[in-house]
Amino acid sequence: MLTAYVVSDFAIKTRGLTKQYGQTVAVNELDLEIKIGQFYGLLGPNGAGKSTTIHMLTTMTTATSGEAWIADQLVSADPVVIRGTVGLVFQDSALDRTMTIDENLQFAAAMYNLPPQIADKRIDELLSVFGLQEKRNVKLLALSGGQRRAVDIARGVLHRPKVLFLDEPTIGLDLANRRAIWRFVEQLRRNEGMTVFLTTHYLEEAAACDHVDFIQHGKLQQGGAPHELIEQLGAYVLEINTADPENIAAQLTPLFGDPIREDQQLSFKISASDFNFSELQKTLGDAVSSMQWRRPNLNDVYLWTFCSPEQGEAV
Amino acid sequence: MSWRPVKAVVGRELSKLFRQRARLVSAMVRPMIWLLVIGSGVGSMLEGQQQEGYLTFLVPGILAMTLLFASLLSALTLVYDKEFGVMRMMMIAPIAHYWIVLSKLIAATLTAMVQAILLLLLLVILGLIDINIALGLLPAALLTSICCAAIGGLIAVWSKSIDNFAVIMNFFIFPVFFLSGALYPVKQLPDYLHYIVAVNPFSYGVDLLKHAVPNVNTDFSVTTDIVVLISFSTIAILIACWRFSRESVHEPLFHRATKR
Repeated sequence: MLTAYVVSDFAIKTRGLTKQYGQTVAVNELDLEIKIGQFYGLLGPNGAGKSTTIHMLTTMTTATSGEAWIADQLVSADPVVIRGTVGLVFQDSALDRTMTIDENLQFAAAMYNLPPQIADKRIDELLSVFGLQEKRNVKLLALSGGQRRAVDIARGVLHRPKVLFLDEPTIGLDLANRRAIWRFVEQLRRNEGMTVFLTTHYLEEAAACDHVDFIQHGKLQQGGAPHELIEQLGAYVLEINTADPENIAAQLTPLFGDPIREDQQLSFKISASDFNFSELQKTLGDAVSSMQWRRPNLNDVYLWTFCSPEQGEAV
Repeated sequence: MSWRPVKAVVGRELSKLFRQRARLVSAMVRPMIWLLVIGSGVGSMLEGQQQEGYLTFLVPGILAMTLLFASLLSALTLVYDKEFGVMRMMMIAPIAHYWIVLSKLIAATLTAMVQAILLLLLLVILGLIDINIALGLLPAALLTSICCAAIGGLIAVWSKSIDNFAVIMNFFIFPVFFLSGALYPVKQLPDYLHYIVAVNPFSYGVDLLKHAVPNVNTDFSVTTDIVVLISFSTIAILIACWRFSRESVHEPLFHRATKR
């Protein structure tokens, strides 16, 4: 039978969440439902409202209207409780560069009221994940960007939050560091069942998400599971380079729908998985300088969401 | 609310103070220069007994100056931390935001007291004051230090960036110091300056410190000094906490569009 109250299985839920800065609507009527343990990605161009969404959900800024819940707690009711529940890795560093890794993390742990012995143990664990144990007493100034980022992330999860927000966590990092960070996030999700809310520009990273949505001008566009979105886009993406894009577009649009045009390149979605490209190649002949087809990826989904002719504007 | 976050903030400021040796040394050198150079310079214009009297007169003023600079600069780390991002670490912590201000002001008071104690120690070693006077100055120094931290807190919560630092120096620290009776008896000032001194809360700190030194003329009663210092500090700290809890103050920290 039903219990007296039902605890929902949502880690994050919002209803009509809106943030306005003066005349600018940064986030417009956002409705989100993110289940516990999900790896969620919010994708969109710069200034689309990704960070503002995160800041509203972590009490760093209050919503102009609408409501949000984190782990069934109303965000506006008690910000202090919410801050204890979430972890946030800011887009910009939150660390003191003149202090050592250890001093920074001990400070952060104390801010979360963690006793020193527990803090010490966790710092040890976290640093070993990133291979930074040796650098524990090194000042942040002496670390590379990737190492500093790793410390920032360690800081965000020291108190073992139920919901972790990562705002562009891998921006400006090299591949090795990015991989290390993703392995770590994966580990957190597996071992601690942490819900992860991610914003990123690197779409190949978002492909690991359980669900992605797109946001532009503060408005959410429903997405889905990355592999489903890719399948829905089509079987192939056809890219044609040509000196005469107008003509080729006119010729092919009736067949494939409107292309995305960037300078002299046209990209078409092809739905038929048995499409005969060599036939097309013959038909187009000398009119194209190059032509290639490939399986679509999340980048294409992103481009078609934001740059497609139906959208009417470029990123 | 646990004290651990407060202790962490205070500990961070204190360890920075001891790490920045140059800051600590300059905090000792500045008052000594004032005392020995200005004290002897101005003192030389005075005669005999008065000469020695001026040096003694300057001790509370110079101590107050040390407290003012130390407290104020320490309170201004509220702005530094915002500029360098460390404030984010405190803002996302599960504590009410006014605790960040309170912790910083406790830290400012303590850093100032450390410097005051070091200065007094130096003065005692140099034989410029008696150890008993030095000890007597400490309670007055504590109240003055809280008052200066409160002034610093008020300035900090209204400052957008540390670019304003020169402005703060010129428009706050110097007037507050010079118009306080730290360098000369208030009674001899022209009337209009007299009023300014009277509305300057720091004057009462200086005056309270003077009460701790024998044979130095004071301008207000001990009770007046204590009442003014405590009420001003309380009100200023409340305002600083209220202002800091308003999120518009922090929007530049999070929202790029509102950055300068």
